[in-house]
Amino acid sequence: MSAAPTRSDTSSCRRARALVALRHALNLGLPILFVLIPILSFVLVSFWTLQDGQIVRTFTLANYRSFFTEGSYLPVYLSTVWLSLQVTFVNVTLATAIALFIFRRTPRVRFFILMSFMLPLFMSYIIKVYAIRTILGQRGLLNEGLMALGLIDQPIEVLLFSRTAIFVALAVIYLPYAILPIYLALDRIPANYLAASADLGASALQGLRHIVLPLGRPGIAAGAVFTFILTFGDFVTPQMVGGTQGFTFGRIVFSQFGLALNWPLGSALAVILLATTLLAVALAGLTLRREHVR
Amino acid sequence: MKQKAPFIDSLLGFTAVVGLVALYAPLIAVVVLSFFQITRLRGVIGFAPFSLEPYAALVANHEILSALATSLTVATIASLASLVLALMFAFYFVTARRGFGLLMQVMVFLPFLLPPIITGLALLIAFREIDFSRGLATVIIGHVVFIVPVVYRTVLVRLQLLGRSLTEASLDLGASQTQTLVHVILPQMRPALISGLLLAFAISFDETLITLFVAGSETTLPIRLWAMMRVGFVPEINALATLILLFTAAITVAIGLMQRSQGERAS
Repeated sequence: MSAAPTRSDTSSCRRARALVALRHALNLGLPILFVLIPILSFVLVSFWTLQDGQIVRTFTLANYRSFFTEGSYLPVYLSTVWLSLQVTFVNVTLATAIALFIFRRTPRVRFFILMSFMLPLFMSYIIKVYAIRTILGQRGLLNEGLMALGLIDQPIEVLLFSRTAIFVALAVIYLPYAILPIYLALDRIPANYLAASADLGASALQGLRHIVLPLGRPGIAAGAVFTFILTFGDFVTPQMVGGTQGFTFGRIVFSQFGLALNWPLGSALAVILLATTLLAVALAGLTLRREHVR
Repeated sequence: MKQKAPFIDSLLGFTAVVGLVALYAPLIAVVVLSFFQITRLRGVIGFAPFSLEPYAALVANHEILSALATSLTVATIASLASLVLALMFAFYFVTARRGFGLLMQVMVFLPFLLPPIITGLALLIAFREIDFSRGLATVIIGHVVFIVPVVYRTVLVRLQLLGRSLTEASLDLGASQTQTLVHVILPQMRPALISGLLLAFAISFDETLITLFVAGSETTLPIRLWAMMRVGFVPEINALATLILLFTAAITVAIGLMQRSQGERAS
C-alpha cells in the first residue's frame, strides 16, 4: 500500500529531472553546436596551412604572416577600412539629419515617414545592388541620360566599375540600417525635456545641440557600428558594381573559399576581418562610456 | 509642441528628400524598365512601347522557376523552424536561471551581430569538418541560424509583456502546463508570432551572403539572380525584380501595420 506511491514518485521525479536536463541540453546545446563550434572551428582552421592542396593540421602563424608580408592583402585591407569609414561617416551624417526630420514631425505622420525609409531595408538585397547598377552602369540610365541630353558625348567611365560606384552603392544600400537606431534613440527622449528647454528660452537650434543630439548619441554610435560592420564585410556589392576595381577585403576572403580554395588563409583573413569589426564595436562602446563618466 | 525652426527644418527636409530619392530611384527604375525596355538605335537611347514580354519570358524560364521553388521551400521550413526554436529559447530565458539564459542569449544573437561573411564561412568550415555535404539542409540551417535572433527578439518582448499573472491564474485553476501554453500563452502572443514568422520568411527569402557560402549546387532565387547578373543583362531580371519588390513590400507593410496596431493597443 505504501510502497507503490513512493516508487511512482521516484520514477516521476527521475522523469522530471530528465526533462530539465533535456531542456538545458536543447537550449544551450543547439547554440553551442550551430554557433559556437562553427566560430571556434574557423578560428582553429586559420592556424593550419595548405600544402599541395592538402590541409596540414599543425599550429602555425604562417597565414597571419602572409597577411602582413605577401601580395596586396594589407593595402587592400587598409583601403577597405578607409572606404567603410567614409561610407559610415556620410551615412551617419545623412541618417542623423533624416532621423531628426522624422523626430520633428507630429507622431501621426512619423510612423509613415519612418516606414517609407525602412521599406527598402526589407527589399531584396541582390535586387538593390542590381538596381543601382542599372542606374550607375556604363550603359546605365545616368550615363545614357546625360548623353541623350548632350551633356556628355562619352560614357563616364568613373560611374561603374570604380571606387566611387562602390561607395555610392554601399551608401544607398546601408542607409536604412543607420536611420533606424538613431531614430529609436531620439524617440526615447521625453517630450518635456524639450518643452522645458524652450520655456527656459533656448532656441530650437540650442535644444537640438544640447539636448537632442547628446541624448541621441548611443543611437548614432549604434548606427555607425552597424554601417561599418555591414559595409566592411560586404563582398557582393563591390563585385557587382566594382568589377576588377572593386577588390575589397571581403572579396579577398570570399575568393579564398571559391577559386583560390585556400581555406586556412581565408579563415585567417576572416579572423582579421572579425577582429576589425569587434574593434569597431569596442571603440564605439568606449566613447559612450567615457561620456557617461564625464 | 515642437519649436518652429524653418531654416533647420527645410535643411533636414531637403536631406530626407535626397535620401528617399537615393533609396527609391533605383527600385523605380527597375520597375519601369520591366515594362518599357531600353532600345538603342545607332547608339541613341530610347524606350520600347509598353510590353509584358519580359514577364512572359520569366514564366518560361525554368531555371528561375526552380530557384523560386527552392527559395519558397527554404523560407517556409526555415521560418517555421525559427519560430519553434525562438519560442523555446524565449521560454528558457524567462524561466531558467539568469546565467544560463544570458549564456544562451549571447550565443543566439551572435550570428546576427557578426558580419554575414563570418557566419557563412564558419558554418561552411564546420560542415566540412564533419563531412556534411552542402545542399538544401545546409542552406536551411544557415538561414535558421541567421533568422532565430530576429524572431527570438520579437517573441521575447511579447512574452515579457505578458507577465506571470495569467500563467499563474491558469495553473491555479487546474490547467496543466501544456493546456496553459496552448490555451493561454500562445493565443496572447499571436500578433508577435505572426509578425515574427513573416519577418523570418522575408529575411530568408532574401538571404544572399550566407547562402553563397553554404549553398553548394543548390540555388535559391538570390543566388540565381546573382549568377545571372554576373553573366550580363537578361530582360527577365527586371520583371522578376519587380515581382519580388512587390511581394516583399507587401510583407513589410503588413508587419509594419501589425506592429503599429499592437503598439496602439499596448499604450
